[in-house]
Amino acid sequence: MTNTNGRRRVVVTGQGVVTPVGTDVPQFWSALKKGTCGIGEIKGFSTEDLYITIAGEVADFNPRDRLTSKQLLLADRYSQFAGCAAQEAVRQSGLEVPLEGDKSYRAASIIGSGIGGLTTLELSYRALFKENKRATHPLTLLKSIGSSAAAHVSIEYGIKGPCFGVVSACSTATHSVGLVYRMIREGLIDLGLGGAAEASLAWGSTRAWQAMRVLSPDGLWPFSKNRNGTVLAEGGGVLLLEELEHAKERGAPILAELIGYGMTADAADMVNPSIDGASTAMQMALDDAGISASDIDYLNAHGTATAVNDINETRAIKRVFGKSANDVSISSTKSMHGHCLGGGGSIEATAAIMALNDNFVPPTIGLSEPDPECDLDYTPNAGKKRDVSYSMSNSFAFGGLNAVLVFGPDPT
Amino acid sequence: MSERDLRAVGDRESNMDEVATKIIEILKKNMKEPSDNIGLETPLSDLDIESLDLAVIVFDIEDTFGIEIPYNANEEVEDFATVGSVVDKVNSIISETKASGAAA
Repeated sequence: MTNTNGRRRVVVTGQGVVTPVGTDVPQFWSALKKGTCGIGEIKGFSTEDLYITIAGEVADFNPRDRLTSKQLLLADRYSQFAGCAAQEAVRQSGLEVPLEGDKSYRAASIIGSGIGGLTTLELSYRALFKENKRATHPLTLLKSIGSSAAAHVSIEYGIKGPCFGVVSACSTATHSVGLVYRMIREGLIDLGLGGAAEASLAWGSTRAWQAMRVLSPDGLWPFSKNRNGTVLAEGGGVLLLEELEHAKERGAPILAELIGYGMTADAADMVNPSIDGASTAMQMALDDAGISASDIDYLNAHGTATAVNDINETRAIKRVFGKSANDVSISSTKSMHGHCLGGGGSIEATAAIMALNDNFVPPTIGLSEPDPECDLDYTPNAGKKRDVSYSMSNSFAFGGLNAVLVFGPDPT
Repeated sequence: MSERDLRAVGDRESNMDEVATKIIEILKKNMKEPSDNIGLETPLSDLDIESLDLAVIVFDIEDTFGIEIPYNANEEVEDFATVGSVVDKVNSIISETKASGAAA
């Protein structure tokens, strides 16, 4: 039992995702359980002159089927992912929306993005500089800004309290969720939507990633001896967090308790991660939760399949978990949905929550031959049943920005 | 050896010098404290060059010579062991590029 010393407790009452392996939580979870890979040859844009031609695209995404707001239908794809994920979370929670009166000021919309409406910008610059168009679309600016998803979601649900986007590259979603958690705990709000979305798959941005020489031309195989880089993907995830008594009072479904959050910065290097930064963030999250590492049953790893991340993360896990490092079930679900960048953390947190609800650990696919230096239980190739009481989700970003969430069971 | 072959060897040698000089310039440009003692035998590991620096250096080399160099930061590549191995790699890509250009 978690000792909260009388502080406000925070529960998850709704979750929503849009990913390359499913555009809602039931589809997503079922795909992860089966080990479905959502990475393939890019169809969304011409890959002419690129040597990276694979990605995790959200296929068959038609916002008109999902969204009713005209403003969101005209928004950038990243905002539409966030809008769909928020809608799924709100519907699941049974929250009466739009919020009215004082309640609207006691709610937050913290929806970030690693880079916001980059595709809108790219296509607009192309139109201006290459196609010599005389004007850009009047919504170019509003579609591009990195706070537009948070704003759209606040408009949609009448959220009038804290509303902005968080930016921390591939830790964005995790920081967003963590921030909502802290706001609720500290009494600033009673509920909030937290998460992030990314839809930056485009020719120019792939070119920029390609130039960093960290992408794999073949596939994303975390912890594998054969891993040769990460694979870009798109998607988004949003959690509805709520103060425990508030959730109980209105009879909301409680999916999990968010019990711990840790964040650190390596303050070292833009691309080479440190064991100190990652392990301290994990330890902080455990200390915040008031549990030991040995209590964690499932760890959703950052697991990007770059040479440096997977070894560094493995060493950090060993430092924090000690002897129990061999007992925790770990997986990198990026092997299936790809690296959803800023949106990854809330998608992966959803996997960590589902593992807890379903007592099932999703696999790391493509792991037939592990790297000798990555020698923990990464749940290779096939998921498995396991009682999961506590789960952890790691996000580590360029710049050395680390954020970790710990979930526990429904406390009621 | 015919006169033509000799000329080809001569071209290659003078080319080698020019390529090596440019590559050393690029390496120095990307070093915090550029050393004056960089030779073909110098290992890149002695030059305080990390993975991201290498991506930048490869970009600069590609841009300077108008070539494409296959390089993945996730893989250990022998071509990037010493300054000389980089020079050899760049020369071989330049001649391949020329050959395919001539054929096209």
